[in-house]
Order: sequence, then structure tokens, then C-alpha cells
Amino acid sequence: MKIAAQEKGKTRRARHSEQMILFAVANRMFAIAAAAVQEIRSTDSLAVSANEIEQSEILKVRHTLERSHQTYYVVNAGAHFGLPVTRPTLVLILRQLRVAVLVDRIERMVDVAAIHSLPLAFAGEERRWYRGLTYIDDHVIPVIQPSGFLTTEEFRRLDRATNANSAPHDLEGAFQA
Amino acid sequence: MIAEIQNADANSYVLLHLANRRFALPSAIVSELAPPVRLHTFPHTSSLVSGVIVRRGRIVPVYDVASILLGRTSPVHRFYLIARRTFSDGPESSAIPVSGECELVTAELQEASDNTLPHISGRLLVDDESIEVLNFDALLASDLARHNAPLRAETRP
Repeated sequence: MKIAAQEKGKTRRARHSEQMILFAVANRMFAIAAAAVQEIRSTDSLAVSANEIEQSEILKVRHTLERSHQTYYVVNAGAHFGLPVTRPTLVLILRQLRVAVLVDRIERMVDVAAIHSLPLAFAGEERRWYRGLTYIDDHVIPVIQPSGFLTTEEFRRLDRATNANSAPHDLEGAFQA
Repeated sequence: MIAEIQNADANSYVLLHLANRRFALPSAIVSELAPPVRLHTFPHTSSLVSGVIVRRGRIVPVYDVASILLGRTSPVHRFYLIARRTFSDGPESSAIPVSGECELVTAELQEASDNTLPHISGRLLVDDESIEVLNFDALLASDLARHNAPLRAETRP
């Protein structure tokens, strides 16, 4: 009666290790693939290029960021994961997604050789949030799925809100012209 | 206890303590009694799951079954009973915090008088005590689980 023997292989061992950034939000640790992050900036340095977005549907997004002629939605990671409110100091600007993520601090970078599948017991939103779990220095740390920060529907709603916010200004400009 | 469980027959059950009550699980789904290793928690929205433990290099989810069976989280636990939960995608090792030593017994399963509870598959008469035999899969999938469990388990340190 070896349960372990009956279970399918649930640990994905990378042929090569994957470099991860460990970051903290409300004293919780998370890992994200370094390859998924384009840039890390302090919130202070981005204050001038951030715009407040007026919408009340997706509370974890309060600001947009303009980078390379693209509008990035700034997701508060604490609100995303349902954690206590903190004062984020850093922004992770993601690669290939119009998402930037507010986090408290970066812990360090690590090479991760194995990512364990999220146990089937976890059946909620976390299946979208996480690629799996990793075990580093006696800690089980969730590995972030970058595309899990905003769903397609949330992008659609935010785009609609952003366009609605900018429309009066466009109109104003048109009248002035 | 592992060797005993491996030799167990169809009428074998593992008795487990939750607070001051005893319940039984078929020994066929129980693999071991693990020491109280560290519970790791992270944000999630799955009711009943209080976190994970690492056991023999595997990550094992921990279910707070006391919240269903007793209506509250068991305040003290000394061990984790590792049992198999069956999903449509296959079996998965699962841990239940238990508050005392577990015991392997052989007894005849008696039909439950109240068969409206899907997570009770019957009763055992042990030492003049009637002990409910749990249907582990039904217990974790029951409406009772959804109603009694905390909505968000991640906030526990």
C-alpha cells in the first residue's frame, strides 16, 4: 500500500534549473521566473509615469503605467492574493504581458531545479495563480503564473475603463483643435 | 504502524482522535502516521485546506477535517495521518491533523443508523463505543465541508 507509487509523477524536474526571483508581499514569499520579468523599479521612480484609473470593478488595479507606447495595468499583489494591506516599494514589470505587479520587496534570486505540481486539493483561484510549488531552504514557496494576475475578461474590463477615461480628453482636444 | 496497515484486511480500520472524539478510516487508504512536521501556508481559496507538509520529498496537502466533523478547528494536534484521497485525475496523498495516537482495529462495519450523511459509511463497535467510519472522499467533497470550512485558509501563520 504505497500511495506514492500509485501517484503519477508530480514533480517537474527541469533539465536545467530555472532562475527565479523571490519576492515578498505581506511577509509571504513567492517565486517568479526571472525570464518573466522585464524590469524591476521602485514605486517612487515610477510615480510620475503612473496614472490613476477610475474603475471600481477590479479593485486590485488602481493605476496604469505607460512603457514603450503600451499601457500596463498595475496589480497590487497583496490585493490579488487577499493579503493584508501593505506599502509596496517595488514594481515588477512583466514581459509579454501588459501587467506590472506591486510587491513589498525582493528577497533574492535562486536557481530552482524542480517545481512540484499544485496538489489537486487546491481547487480554487490558486490553480490560475500558481505554476506549482517549490521547496527552498525548508520553505514551500508558490511559483507564480504570470498570466494569472489578470484574466482576459479583466483585461477587457480594464481596457474599456481606460478608454472611457481617456475619451473625454480626446474630445476636449478635438474641440480645441 | 505502517507494517500493520500493510498487512491489514478489508475489515481493518484506523481509529483516529480528533479533540476528544474518535473516528475511523478504512486502513486500505491510510499509509502512515507522520510526526508533526512544519505546516507551510500560502495564499489560496480552497476551503478545508490549511496548508501543506513535506513528507518523504513530496508535498502533501493538509485538510482541517475537524472543522467539518467537530464544527471547529482542532486546537492541538500531535501527528498527521496520511491517507489517500481519490480525484478523477488519480489518487493524492493527504494529511489529517490528529490529536492522539492512532490505533489499528479489526471490526465488522455496521450500517449507519443515519444514512443521510454521505461522509459516514457506517459504524464500528469498539470497546462499547460506537465509532463513525468516515468516507474520506465524500467527507472532503461534501456540502458540509463547504459550509463549515473557513472561506480562506491562507491567513493562518
